[in-house]
Amino acid sequence: MNDVRAVFEKLGRARFISHLDLLRCMQRAFKRAGLPLWYSQGFNPRAYLMFPLPLSLGIGSICEIMDFTLVDDISCDEIKDRLNKTLPDGIKILSVDAPVKKHTEIAAAVYEIKFFDRNSNIILLFNEFMEQEKIEIQKVNKKKIPVQIDIKPQIEVLEMVSKDGQAVIKLKLPAGTQENLNVNSMLEAFQNFIKSEIDDIFICRTDILCLDGKKFF
Amino acid sequence: MLREKIERHILKVQKPSRYIGGEIGSIVKDKSKIDVRFAFCFPDVYDIGMSHLGMKILYSLTNSRENFWCERVFSPWIDYEKIMRENDIPLYGLESLEPIKDFDFIGFTLQYELSYTNVLNMLDLAGVPVYSKDRKNLSPIVVAGGPCTCNPEPLTDFVDIFILGEGEEVNLELLDLYAKMKKDGASKEEFLKEAVKIEGIYIPAFYDVSYNHDGTIKSVVPKNGAPEKVKKRIIKDFDNVFYPETFVVPFTETVHDRAVVEVLRGCIRGCRFCQAGFIYRPFREKSIGTIVNETKSLCESTGYEEVSLSSLSTSDYSQINLMLNELVDYTEKEKINLSLPSTRIDNFSKELLEKIKSVRKSGLTFAPEAGTQRLRDVINKNITEEEILSACKTAFEGGYSSVKLYFMLGLPTETDEDVEGIAVLAEKIEKLFYSLPHRPKGRLSISISAATFVPKPFTPFQFEPQALPEEIKRKQSLLISKTNPKTVSLSWHKTDISILEAVLARGDRRLCDALYHAWKSGCVFDSWDECYDFLKWKKVFEELGIDISFYANRKRSYEEIQPWDHLDYFVSKEFLIRENKKAHEGIATPNCRISCSGCGINKAIGGACFE
Ligand code: SF4
Repeated sequence: MNDVRAVFEKLGRARFISHLDLLRCMQRAFKRAGLPLWYSQGFNPRAYLMFPLPLSLGIGSICEIMDFTLVDDISCDEIKDRLNKTLPDGIKILSVDAPVKKHTEIAAAVYEIKFFDRNSNIILLFNEFMEQEKIEIQKVNKKKIPVQIDIKPQIEVLEMVSKDGQAVIKLKLPAGTQENLNVNSMLEAFQNFIKSEIDDIFICRTDILCLDGKKFF
Repeated sequence: MLREKIERHILKVQKPSRYIGGEIGSIVKDKSKIDVRFAFCFPDVYDIGMSHLGMKILYSLTNSRENFWCERVFSPWIDYEKIMRENDIPLYGLESLEPIKDFDFIGFTLQYELSYTNVLNMLDLAGVPVYSKDRKNLSPIVVAGGPCTCNPEPLTDFVDIFILGEGEEVNLELLDLYAKMKKDGASKEEFLKEAVKIEGIYIPAFYDVSYNHDGTIKSVVPKNGAPEKVKKRIIKDFDNVFYPETFVVPFTETVHDRAVVEVLRGCIRGCRFCQAGFIYRPFREKSIGTIVNETKSLCESTGYEEVSLSSLSTSDYSQINLMLNELVDYTEKEKINLSLPSTRIDNFSKELLEKIKSVRKSGLTFAPEAGTQRLRDVINKNITEEEILSACKTAFEGGYSSVKLYFMLGLPTETDEDVEGIAVLAEKIEKLFYSLPHRPKGRLSISISAATFVPKPFTPFQFEPQALPEEIKRKQSLLISKTNPKTVSLSWHKTDISILEAVLARGDRRLCDALYHAWKSGCVFDSWDECYDFLKWKKVFEELGIDISFYANRKRSYEEIQPWDHLDYFVSKEFLIRENKKAHEGIATPNCRISCSGCGINKAIGGACFE
């Protein structure tokens, strides 16, 4: 048995693969690559294949994590090579290692939001958005009752630049088992604030961080 | 760029991965090195089209040629169509994400009549004139193949070329000719005049059709060197025919999301209602070695954990036990599920049944099609009540507690007794179940699907009228009143769907107008209950003065020229007439392995079908 952590990117067309479909796609990739996954024993055997931080549909990433267990001992380099030979366009394994940190240590994710065809105006708007006293969104709590929560303290703006007609905003949002803010929920709040729909953007997850601010992997 | 536009809008629709390509197995080529670009269009949604074997074969085949590039195109669902139209996104190929209007060929596969409006809609979404006569340039040439091309007359105004029969050879011949003539700067007309010389190519514009006063066809006269009768194409060496080494593996779950190996083509049975049983003749099998190799290659290259054997009737494979034993050796070792649709389990050995069951329990289904032995003889469906009951018994004792039965209503010569026979059979199955001491716990459930019979071209029933909708409704009520609702669940399609199917299946060229206007008035996805709107169709037929009953409910004489009589599927009209007469006398015809009934296909292959 061989516990492995792979980091992969999900870009281009692959952004439109849903989480459930990604799971199936990866299982088949292992099969094609001749890398037998370890199955749990028991009545309903399941392969151990786990993505600790699912990505919303349409969002790109250069830091996706996939943990799995293989039946055989195969070197990390070989696993990476074999998988990369058989993964679809847009998904590429960047690194393969033995897992070090636990999933529960994940605390935040960094997103880069690129606005096409917009001038620096969008940055001004985003500043105004962040200057509000509160940024409230509706969420459903554990009892399935909708509640208003203030997400302003959860948003940390890391960088805002504008050049060549493109604006880029870099944000750090809480992620993981303790506290979580979906970048789409935040964007929805922003769209409500500016009262217009934004569809000319590209969002990319660029980093996954632990509580101490260090990289998760 | 189109790609950016697509990516920008695609998140607003259901299942975006239907529209973006990029799957493993999809083939992207350098277009600067390509002579012919082919858009293979399936006129229904991705999930359905991606399950279709013919498309997989022809996609791989075309792409196996370096200078051809074949891409997949499906009908966008209504949500995406709206977005495409609002944002000027033309229909595009899933591989290149480029508009198909710039391709050399736009090819459709016609699997069912109710997809015809989608053909028009897809051409329009592509930004291509729907009428053939309005497309003056060499490209794109609109072609169509598939089972419905055995009577493609309702589409003749829109499609430039129909391809009759099996495409594995003729498609490449057509594309080769095109590549050569395109280099020479040929016009569309020059190309069509050359193409018509290829066997299997039907160019409808090269035929003049005239009509009698009573609306029937008077004559069909060829011109421009077109043959009097267009012969369908048949693959003679089926064991060595091209078969894909890999499939495109969809991200989203499709109807049949698995590896598929075709084990045989054609059918020996000759059920008189079944079009497939006649138009795919002759019966041909692949060797066990080929089947095993193709299974291995597909499973390894796709990563699928399920393989299914495809054919009209897998149990008719001559060495079925031997073949399955060899296959199971491989699939068991690799933990691959083997599924066997269209397979009668009654002649399996117990040992084999155990082996297959250990891999996957497939549901218990039968298609008696008719409720009494008399009517089953009429339709030549040779399954007896004893066979059904004994197979049920084995299955119940093996732990099954549900069974699915397929029937048809409105078959020629059908009486109320035949309809009641369906209920009687269900009752017998129920009695059998509760009489078994070793039956599974719980209740038995029987589901009965009763489709409305639709007479189809190239079957012995092509002359028969479809039962009137009132008659079908009455028979449905009768069936409801005779079955036990606690055990039996009944289901059927809306009857008016079968009416449209019947009109289009045996329609002629005068229906092109109706098709156009129906599409214009918003009919698309007619095979989808949530989209089908018969009132719109009815209105169009009324406005154009088209009589539905002329097409659907009229008894056609043996002498009448049928709209498809100039298409030769090698199953002779004399044979169909003979079979029709035997049907009315209630005489069954033995299957082709027992004795040859002289349908005529043997002339096409130059010898007997069976040694
Ligand atoms: S020629 Fe004879 S054996 Fe061959 S398909 Fe026709 S009826 Fe059957």
